[in-house]
Amino acid sequence: MKKILYSIAILFAAVVTSCSEWDPVFANQGVPDPAAAVNMDSQVNTSIAELKALYTGKPYHIEKDIVISGKIISSDISGNIYRSVYIQDETGAIEVKIGSTGLYNDYKLGQILYVKCEGLTLGNYCGMLQIGCDDPTGEYETAYIDVKSLIDSHIFRGAKGPEVAPLEITESDIKAALKLGYKSPLFGKLVTIKDLTYANEIFVLIYLDSNADKKASANRLFLSDKQWGVTTWAMSANKMKEYLISGVWDSAQIGNSGDYNHGSVGDLENLTKLINNASAYSVSQYFKMTGGTELQVRSSGYAKFSDTEIDPAIQAGAKVDFTGILTNYNGAAQFTLIDLDGVRKH
Amino acid sequence: MIKKFITAAAALLAGIMLFAQEPTGGVKGTVINRSDRSPVAGATLKLMSGATEIGTVTSDAKGDFLIGELADGMYDLQIDAPGFLQTTVNVTVIDGYVKNMFNLSLSPSIATVDVDDSSFGDFDLDGMGYEDTPTILYDQNDVFNNIASFNFSSVRFKVRGYASESQDVYLAGIRMNDALTGYSPYSLWTGLNEVMRSKSTVVGSEISEYGIGSYNGLTNIYATPSKVRPGSRFSILTNSALYRLRLMGTYAVPENDKGWSYAVSASARLGGNDWIQGVYYRSFAYYAGIEKNWNDIHRLALVTFATPGTRGAQNASTQEVYDLMGDNMYNSNWGYQNGKVRNARNRITFEPITFLKYDFTPSRELNVSATLLWRTGKNGYTALDWYDAPDPRPDYYRNLPSYFYMENTDYNRNNPAKAAWARDAWQNNVATVAHVNWDRLYDVNYNAGGRSKYALEERHVDQNDLNLGASVKWRPKTNIVLTLGANGKINRTEYYKKLNDLLGGQYFLNVDQFAERDYSSSATMIQNDLDYFLSHNEAEKIAEGGKYGYDYYAHVMKGEVWGNGKFSFGGFEINAGGRIGTSSFWREGLLRKGLFPGLNDDGSEISYAGATLVNHYDSEGKMITSKGLSEKSSFLTYAGKLNLNYTFMGGHRIYADASYSSEAPLFDKAFVAPRTRNTLISGLTNVKTLSGDVNYMFANNGYALRVTGFYTTIKDQTDVMSVYYDLNNSFGNFALKGIDERHVGMELGFQVPTPVSGLSVVGAFTTGEYIYTSNPTMTATVDNSSEIIYNNVLVPYWKSNPKTDGSIQKHYVPSTPQTAASLGLSFFHNYWFIDADVDYFANSYLDMSPLYRTDAATAGADGNITVEEVDYMASQEKFNNAWVVNFSVGKSWYYKRKYQYGFSFNAKNILNNRDIKTGGFEQTRIVDNTVSKERYYKFDPKYFYMAGFNYMLNLYFRF
Repeated sequence: MKKILYSIAILFAAVVTSCSEWDPVFANQGVPDPAAAVNMDSQVNTSIAELKALYTGKPYHIEKDIVISGKIISSDISGNIYRSVYIQDETGAIEVKIGSTGLYNDYKLGQILYVKCEGLTLGNYCGMLQIGCDDPTGEYETAYIDVKSLIDSHIFRGAKGPEVAPLEITESDIKAALKLGYKSPLFGKLVTIKDLTYANEIFVLIYLDSNADKKASANRLFLSDKQWGVTTWAMSANKMKEYLISGVWDSAQIGNSGDYNHGSVGDLENLTKLINNASAYSVSQYFKMTGGTELQVRSSGYAKFSDTEIDPAIQAGAKVDFTGILTNYNGAAQFTLIDLDGVRKH
Repeated sequence: MIKKFITAAAALLAGIMLFAQEPTGGVKGTVINRSDRSPVAGATLKLMSGATEIGTVTSDAKGDFLIGELADGMYDLQIDAPGFLQTTVNVTVIDGYVKNMFNLSLSPSIATVDVDDSSFGDFDLDGMGYEDTPTILYDQNDVFNNIASFNFSSVRFKVRGYASESQDVYLAGIRMNDALTGYSPYSLWTGLNEVMRSKSTVVGSEISEYGIGSYNGLTNIYATPSKVRPGSRFSILTNSALYRLRLMGTYAVPENDKGWSYAVSASARLGGNDWIQGVYYRSFAYYAGIEKNWNDIHRLALVTFATPGTRGAQNASTQEVYDLMGDNMYNSNWGYQNGKVRNARNRITFEPITFLKYDFTPSRELNVSATLLWRTGKNGYTALDWYDAPDPRPDYYRNLPSYFYMENTDYNRNNPAKAAWARDAWQNNVATVAHVNWDRLYDVNYNAGGRSKYALEERHVDQNDLNLGASVKWRPKTNIVLTLGANGKINRTEYYKKLNDLLGGQYFLNVDQFAERDYSSSATMIQNDLDYFLSHNEAEKIAEGGKYGYDYYAHVMKGEVWGNGKFSFGGFEINAGGRIGTSSFWREGLLRKGLFPGLNDDGSEISYAGATLVNHYDSEGKMITSKGLSEKSSFLTYAGKLNLNYTFMGGHRIYADASYSSEAPLFDKAFVAPRTRNTLISGLTNVKTLSGDVNYMFANNGYALRVTGFYTTIKDQTDVMSVYYDLNNSFGNFALKGIDERHVGMELGFQVPTPVSGLSVVGAFTTGEYIYTSNPTMTATVDNSSEIIYNNVLVPYWKSNPKTDGSIQKHYVPSTPQTAASLGLSFFHNYWFIDADVDYFANSYLDMSPLYRTDAATAGADGNITVEEVDYMASQEKFNNAWVVNFSVGKSWYYKRKYQYGFSFNAKNILNNRDIKTGGFEQTRIVDNTVSKERYYKFDPKYFYMAGFNYMLNLYFRF
C-alpha cells in the first residue's frame, strides 16, 4: 500500500517537474530592457531643406533612397498638435504625419528621428510641407502614416538628447517667410516671437450640423473680426454650449459673408441646432506684433488647454512672448502652441 | 429407488413446510454506477425464476433495494436503468436468509463526461453582457441528457435554449448560483470531480427534494465525505484543447465504528493546449471533509474546499482577423515579453467555501437537515489599462486592413496601399502587429517619468456570501412525502480595480481619462477619488496592489420558504410545491467620483477652490451620487409547480410538469452604470416565467426512450452591457428592460440494443424555436457624463425586422443550436467500452446588440429610416450548420480484485472541422463618418470557434 502511494507520488512529481511547458504564460517573463536607440547617422543622405526642395507644386512621391534625420521639436501631450511630429535639422523643419495618437509616449522632445522617405510622399497643406503617404483620393496631398508596419519600416527613433532651443525670430523674419511661402525654411520650426499684444479678435468657422453639407452657406457660422466673448484659447463641446447659452454670440449672422439670409445665432431654431450639435472647435486668437502684423494663435478644441482662459492681464493688453511652431496658413502667419508653457506674459 | 423416494418425500415435506410458513428469504443490495460508484436511483430490478417473473422493485434514492418473501432457491436478477446497460446476476437464497448482494454495479451505456473547464470555459468578456456558458447536463441517468452532455457541449449547447443561469445548482442543500449574476458557479469546484460527483438532478420544471427551483432543472451536489466513494483514486489526464495535464488524487475513508468518515482530494491543472496560444492553466484544487454519525440519528459534516489558481483567457476577434491569421482560434490576448509569451487577461481566483451540514433522522419517516455555508475570497481578472496612449490591443480596428480600405466608398476608407501594408504584416504574423507588444509598453513606461501609461489592472469581484438553509422531510404515510424548507442569503460583494502590474513604471494616476477629455479644465470632475483629491490636492498615485478606478459594494439579501408534497396512488404520483420569498439589493459606493460628487456626509454641499461642485440629476429628478448607499430595491419572489407522473407496467412512464415563477432582477442588470453611480434602472420589475412539459419515458430490457415536448415563456428580463460608444466617444452603458422570450420544442433520446451482445444504437435529438417576443426599451448612459443618451426608448427591431423583400425576419435567442442531433453506436464488452457518434447542429444565432435595433442606428446621420438600412443593421446572423464526429474508447482492469486501473480516450471533432462557430457577439459600435452622411455601418461581429481535432486521455488507478 505505502509502496503504491510512494510510487504514485514520485510519478506525479516527475511529471510536474519534467517539462518546460509548465512555465506559465503570465509570470516569469522577466522585465524587458529599455529599447536601444537606433543609430542610422551613416545612412542619412539628405537634409530637410534638400528634401523640401524636391517639392515643385504637386505631391512628390519619393522613390529614391532618401533618409533624413532631425530632432523632434513638437509633442502632442497637450493635444494641440495631433497625429504629427515636427522635426528640425540645421537646414529646416518638416512635419512628419505619423497618424497615431499619444505620440509623445514614443517620440520625445530632443530625440533624433530618422525617416526613410522611399515610398512616402512629400506634399503641401495650405503652405506647409509635410511627409506622409500617398492620398489616392487626391483630397489632400498627403495621407497619414498610420499603419503600424508602415511606421515601423519608415520611421526610426534615434538617441535622446537635450531639447532644441527655440529660434528667436522677428516680425521681419515672418514677413520674409510669408513671401517665400512653403519654401521658407522657417515654417515648421520651433521659434520664439516676442512682445505681442492681444488683438481682441478671433476666427472660428462653425457648422450648424457637421453631418450636413459643410459648404452650404446656411450651415456655416463665421465668428470673426472681434472677440465674440471667446476668452479661452479654443473650445470644447461643453465650452461651446456655455458660450451659446450665455448669449454672447446671439447677434452673429449665419452664412457666408454676403449671404446673411439665414438668421442669427440668437434665433431659437439656430440656437437649438447649434447646442444640439455642439462639438469641439479650433479657435484662432489674434495677436499683434510690434509692427502691426497679425499672428493667429490657433488652438485645437481637443487640446487639454482649450477651455483655459487667456490670462486676463494678457487680454487687458500685457505683452506676451510665444514659443511654439511657426506655421503658414494660406499666406497668413499662424502659430501653434505645443502647450501653455509656450505663453510667457511680461 | 428408496433413495429417490426419500428425496422426493423430503422435497415434498420441505415444500409443505414452505407453504405452511411465510418464506423469510430475500435479496437486497445497492445499485451503483460503475464509472463513479454513485448510487443509481430508479433502477428496475426484476427477479426471475427460470422464465417466471417473481417480482419487480425499484431502487430508492440511495440505490438500495429489497425483494422479500422469497423461498430458497436460485434466481436471476435482471437490472435495468435508463442510461445503463442491462445486467443480470445470479442470486441464491438459502436457509431463508436475506441475501445481501452489496454493490451491484451498472455500466453506463455512454461514456460519462466530467464537468470540466471545457464545459464552461467562460470566455471572460465581463461587462459586455455576452455570455454563452452552456447548460451542464448532470443527469447521467437520463438517456437524452446522457448523450447530449457529452456530444453537444462542444458547441456550447444550452438545454431548451434557456440561459445557463436559469439552471439551479445547489451544494449540500444551498443554492450556489451567483447572487449578482445568477451564473452557475461550476468554477468554484472544478478539479474536484471525484468528491463532487455524487449528486441528485431533476430536469425542466420537476420538483427536487432540495428545493422548488425554476424551469431549467435543479442539481444538488452532496459534497459530504460520506457520499464520496471510499478508497484511493488517482488519475492523470491530458486534454489537447484545454490543458496539458491534470493530476488528481482522492482518498476517502468510510464510516468507522465510531461513526467518523472523512475524505480529502487535491488536484492540479497545468499547461497550455494545442489550439489556443496564450491560454494556460496553473490551477489547483483542494477538498477536506469530515463527518460524524451518531447512531444514524445525528450526522454532522464539516467541509472546506477551494480552487486557487491562475488561468490565461481567450478572446474573440472578427473574421477579418481570423482570416488574416489563417486561424479561427487566434487569441489577441497575448504577446511576447522578452521573447516569452505573456497573456494580458488572466483569471486569478481563490474563493474558499466552507460548510457545516447537520442531519437529524429520528426515524425512517422524518429527516431534518440544515446547512450553513460561507463563500469568501478573491476573484480577479486582469486586463490592460492605459492612459493617453495608443490602444495596445493588436486587433483594435484601426490596426486592420479594413480600417484603411473598404470597397464600399461610403465608408471613406480608400487607401488600398495602406491596407496592403497592414495585411502583409498580419499575414506574416509580425509579432509587434499581430500580438501584444509588451516590450514597447515597458519602454513607454520607462520613458514616462515614473507615471505608467500602460498598466495591468485586476478587476475584482470579491464575494462574501453567507447562507443558511434548512428543510424538514416527513413521510406520514408510505405514499406521502412532505417537505418544508427555508433559506436565507446575505451577500456583500466588493467590486474594484487593483493595480496588478505597473509594467516598469512607478505609479498610475487615479483619474478618469474619458472625463478628462470632456472636462479637462475641471480639476475635480476628472477625479476617480474626489475625497482623496480634496484632502491631498492631487490625484492619488497608485502603486502596485493599490485599489483605483472604482470601488463599491453590492449588497444582496434573500430569504424564502418553500414546501412540497408528493402523493402516490398506485402508479400515479402527484408532486405539488411552491416557494415565496423576498429579495433585495442595493449599491454602496466607497469612492466619490468627481463627476457625481453628491453631498458631504453631513448633507452640505461640496466645494473646491471656493466653488460649489455641480451635481446632476437623473430622469426622475434624483441627485446622481457615486458614494454612499443607493436606494434599496426589494422584490417579492414566488414560484409554484405541479408534477404529475404515471408509471405503468413494463417500464413505461408518462409525466407532465408545470411551473410559474416570478424572480427578482439581478443586481448585475439593475444599475445604469454601477461602476460610477447609484442610479437604478427605473421601473425594475420581476422576471416572470411560465413553463410546462409533457414526457413519455420507457426503460426496459436494455431499451430506453424519452420524448418530451416543452413550452416556456419568459417575460420582463433586463440586461446591461458596457461597451465603448462611438457616437459619444466614451464608455456607454446600455440597459434594456422588458425582454420577453418564448421557447417551444421537443427532446428525444433513445437507446436500442442490437442483436450483437453489448452493442446499442444511441441517439438524441432536440429541436425548437427559441425567439424574442417583445421589443424592449433601452436607456443608455455614458460613464464620463451625466448625460442620458437614450431615455427609455423603444428598440423597435429587437424581436424582428422587416426585410427588403417585404418579409419579416424573426430574431432568435442566440448562442446555442436550436436543433441538435446525435446518432451513435455504443459497445460494451468485458470492461471495454467503445463509442462512436455523428452529431449535427443547426439554427444557431449571433448575440444581438440592442443599439443596431434602434431607430437612431438604422436611420443613420440623415435621420431617414429605409427598409434597406433596417435590413442591413437589424438583421440577425445565423451560423452555418455543422457536422461533428467523435470517438471514445476505454477499458478497465482489476488486479487481485482489489486494484482497478484503466484508461479512457476521447477523440473529438475527428473530421477536424475548424469552421464551426460556437458563439459570438456584435460590437455595439457604429461607423458614423460616412461619405454620404445618410447611413451608419456596423462593426464586424466577433466570434468564437470550436477547436479542430482534439483528444483527451485519462489514466486512472483506484484501490
